[in-house]
Amino acid sequence: MDIEGYNMPEDRYYEEGHCWVKEEGALLMMGMDDFAQKLAGEIVYVQLPEPGKTLTAGKRFAKVESGKWLGKINAPVTGELVEVNDELENTPGLINQDCYGKGWMFKIKPSDKAELSMLIHGPDAIRKWILADIKKFAKT
Amino acid sequence: MDLYLLGKQSWDDSQLVYHAMAKLGREGLILLSPRSPYVCIGFHQDLFKEVDVDFCRSHRIPMFRRDVGGGAVYLDGNQLFFQMILKRDDPRIPASKEMFYKKFLQPAIHVYRRLGIAAEYKPINDVIAGNRKISGSGVGEIGPSVVFVGNLIVDFNHDMMAHVLKVPDEKFRDKVYRTLKENLSTIRQELGEENAIKWNEDRLNEMMIEEFSKLLGPLNPRPLDEPVRNKMDELRDIMESDAWLTKIQSRISSLKLKIRDGVHLFQKVHKGNGGLIRADFEIHEDRFAGVSISGDFFCYPPDAVRILESMFEGAKRSEFKALIDAFYSDHSVETPGISIDDWVMLFDTGEKA
Repeated sequence: MDIEGYNMPEDRYYEEGHCWVKEEGALLMMGMDDFAQKLAGEIVYVQLPEPGKTLTAGKRFAKVESGKWLGKINAPVTGELVEVNDELENTPGLINQDCYGKGWMFKIKPSDKAELSMLIHGPDAIRKWILADIKKFAKT
Repeated sequence: MDLYLLGKQSWDDSQLVYHAMAKLGREGLILLSPRSPYVCIGFHQDLFKEVDVDFCRSHRIPMFRRDVGGGAVYLDGNQLFFQMILKRDDPRIPASKEMFYKKFLQPAIHVYRRLGIAAEYKPINDVIAGNRKISGSGVGEIGPSVVFVGNLIVDFNHDMMAHVLKVPDEKFRDKVYRTLKENLSTIRQELGEENAIKWNEDRLNEMMIEEFSKLLGPLNPRPLDEPVRNKMDELRDIMESDAWLTKIQSRISSLKLKIRDGVHLFQKVHKGNGGLIRADFEIHEDRFAGVSISGDFFCYPPDAVRILESMFEGAKRSEFKALIDAFYSDHSVETPGISIDDWVMLFDTGEKA
C-alpha cells in the first residue's frame, strides 16, 4: 500500500518506532519500515546482538546508526531473539535498498503471539498512523 | 535549563560527564574542553580497524569509545565542546533528524558568524565555512535521553589526525592528510592568527550560552553534583575498560572515512575467484575522484585497469554499474576469475543506484 510515497505493506504489523513485523510460522521477522529508512538516510551500522537474547516488548535491544545519529531499536514483542541478518554487518545499506526483503533485521520467537494485537495493523490503522506521522515530521 | 560551564576537564571526564547525565535523565547544557588530547571512536567502530593503536599507545594518546554516532576523531583542547542532554520526550526535540541538527547547530553557526566567519548549515549535520567543515557533531540516544555533542574548532592538528587513523599504507595517509587540509577549517585558519587570538575560550563560551539560550530558554549555571560524579565513576570503570574499547570486532576489511558531508575516502577490498581486487578512491559531492585500482589478479592487457580508472574519474557514484559494463563491452579486456559482479561489489558504496 502506498501512502504519500511510503510503501507500507498491509500484511505487516507495525510498532510506533517504525519497525515492521511479519509472521513466519512460529517466528516473527522484523525490520525497519519504509518511512523510517527514508527518514534515516544512508544506514551505516546495525547492531546485531547474539541470538538467544531475551527481549521485552518496548525495551531497547539493538542500535542503528545513520547520519551520525545512534538510535535505538525497541523489541516489538516479548520473546527470544533467534536469528539476525548477518548480511547487514557488511551491507547495512540493504535496509535502504530493500527494507521488507533483503534488509530484514531480526527473527524473534515470541512468548505470546497474541501481543501482535498491540501493534498497528490493517489498512485503515496503518494509513491513519502514517498520515499523522507525515504531518508530525513535516511540522518540526 | 541547567548549565555546566566546566572549563578544562581531564580527557576522560570530557566524555563521561554527558554519558552520566544522560543515563540519569538529567537535562542540561555542558560546555568544556579536554585538558589533553585523545582519540574518540564512534559506538559502532572497530578500534583496531579504525585507529593506529600502536601509534596512540607509543605517543600516550588515550582512546575512548563513545555511545554516540560518527567516526574516529582526534580531540584536544583547541576544540570547545558543547554537549546538550534532553529527555527523549522533550517537546523541543524536532521529530526529524535533519530538523534536529538544523535547529541545534544554529548556536555554533551564529557564534561563527559573530566572529566574521560565513558559517552555514549543510545537511545532514555539518557546519561549513566556504566549502570546508568547521564543526563536528553527533547524536546518541542514551538511557532516557537524547544527547547532542559537537564542537567549535579553534585549531586542528590535521597531521595528528592523519597519524592516529589506521590506514593501509603511507600513500593513503598522505591522501587523508591532504583531504583533511582541503576540507576541514578552523577559527584560526578563517580569521588568521592575529584576529583569532582575540577570541578566547571564555568569550566563545559566553557567546555559545547566549545563542543556546535562544533555543533552550534561560540557562542557570550550576556545578556538577554528587549523583553525576558518582555515575561518572561508575561509567569510568565500564567505558575505560579494554572490553568496552574493543567490544566491536568487525569482519569488514574495507575502509570508509568521512571527511565531511559529501567527501568520503574509500579503500575497498574484494576477493574474487581470480584473486584480490582493491580500489582507493574519493567520493566528492557524489562523484568519483582519484581512483586507483590494484590487487593480485590477472588482467589482459595489463594496463587495462588504467582505462577503468580513467572511466571512473569524475563519474557519478550512481553510474558505477554502467561504467563497469561499458569497460568490458567497449574494450577487449580479460580478467580471469574476476567478473563484472566482483567489480560491482568493489565499487558499490552502499548508496541506492
